[in-house]
Amino acid sequence: MGLFIWLEHTRFAIWLHESESVFAFPMVLLLHTIGMGLLVGLATVVNLRLLGCISRVRLAPMLKLFPLMWLGFWINAVTGVLLLIADATNKLANPVFYIKLVFVALGVLSIIAIRSQVFRDPALDKVPISFNGKALAVASLVVWATAITAGRLMAYLGPRHAAWMIEILGRHS
Amino acid sequence: MNLAHLHLLLNHFPTVGAVIGLGLFVGALVTKNDGLERTSMLVLLLIAVSALPVYFSGNAALEAIQSRPDVSKQFVARHQDVALLALVLMGITGALAWRGLWQFRRNARPAAWNVYGILLFSLLTVALMTVTATMGGEIRHEEIRPAQDVSQTEGTVSAMGAYVLAHGWVWPTCETLHFIGLCLLLGTILTVDLRMLGIMKSVPLADLRGLIPWALAGFSINLVTGMVFFIATPTQYTQNVAFYWKIVFMLLAGINVLYLTFDESWALPEGVDAPLTAKVVAGAGIFLWLGVIFFGRMLPFIGNSF
Repeated sequence: MGLFIWLEHTRFAIWLHESESVFAFPMVLLLHTIGMGLLVGLATVVNLRLLGCISRVRLAPMLKLFPLMWLGFWINAVTGVLLLIADATNKLANPVFYIKLVFVALGVLSIIAIRSQVFRDPALDKVPISFNGKALAVASLVVWATAITAGRLMAYLGPRHAAWMIEILGRHS
Repeated sequence: MNLAHLHLLLNHFPTVGAVIGLGLFVGALVTKNDGLERTSMLVLLLIAVSALPVYFSGNAALEAIQSRPDVSKQFVARHQDVALLALVLMGITGALAWRGLWQFRRNARPAAWNVYGILLFSLLTVALMTVTATMGGEIRHEEIRPAQDVSQTEGTVSAMGAYVLAHGWVWPTCETLHFIGLCLLLGTILTVDLRMLGIMKSVPLADLRGLIPWALAGFSINLVTGMVFFIATPTQYTQNVAFYWKIVFMLLAGINVLYLTFDESWALPEGVDAPLTAKVVAGAGIFLWLGVIFFGRMLPFIGNSF
């Protein structure tokens, strides 16, 4: 925790937060969004397949989607740390931030579990998807939706942001 | 030229286009001409796509003229209400037309309900477009206005916008749904485009068709939630250059998806590489959707929105 607060006061973090350049904070936020789209979007396609949509597609070739999911994950791990150090004091004081982290961890675990439980099955594509496989897919979809919801609500439910939102909405109404 | 001129220029496309599309469609049904029926569906679909920027430019036009004394606020409000309804009906017509085109693509005739659905909704659309256009004209042309102004209300669209701003939960909820829709849309489109590009080559492309309803669901979620943002705070988009680019990229990405709808690549069997054109289109598709995300994300930074 102290480490992130210390990092928040480095010149790099201040530049990230304060700079008017679109290559600072906005670009990090953009990459975080694209990483989310890659990771959650492709995980959703795999989960839909496990639940019976596009059932004629064999699972084996879908393994090729996993490296792209991991690319999305690493983009977001790096940009996530950058977003954290740009605003550490506020984020660390926000309970929703920790909820998001827990659900991101659960989401990643769900993908790992699907990879090792469903895709490593020697009878892959020869037998129907097991109940466990389908349960994992449902859990994964729910967990990722929750992680996204928590991520979005960080901007509204935190100690500082609530006041900020009320002020902005008031300006428009 | 200002944005009011843009609206005056663009608004003829959906009004005239819907009539032409309906005319061609009825003509095709009467003469039982499949080729003409497909063409009319394509016209209706393209008109539906064009209706979106026309609606947005309407708000820009409003901002440009609202300070003039000869502009009636009530007429603007009524025009805007009917325009939104016409946009929704046009969207339904376009979706039905797209589905019909898919049925033709698979060498089957569209189901009867689909054909009658297009007929019904395009008729309703033409009727409402006519009303919208007439009311739009009345905003500036006093000579064609009815003598008495019937309503003094702000209008339904304004009321919806005020509701969003008055209830703090609506905005964050729509934003969350907008992000979930983004994941659905990007994930499904990326999977299809990556297959075109040669990843997962052992999957016959036709087997991925089951993803289309999910892509449509993602797009619909984002269209509706996006409209909520626009209706609540139009000025942060009409005066935002990132928003214009986002719409341009969205239209191009839509045309890109449309191309893949018609392209013969959908018949690609297992293990066969897509032709170069299909690969270029698929690559362009990924670029265009990332562009939509780029300009969406830049709305608060390049432009003035929050």
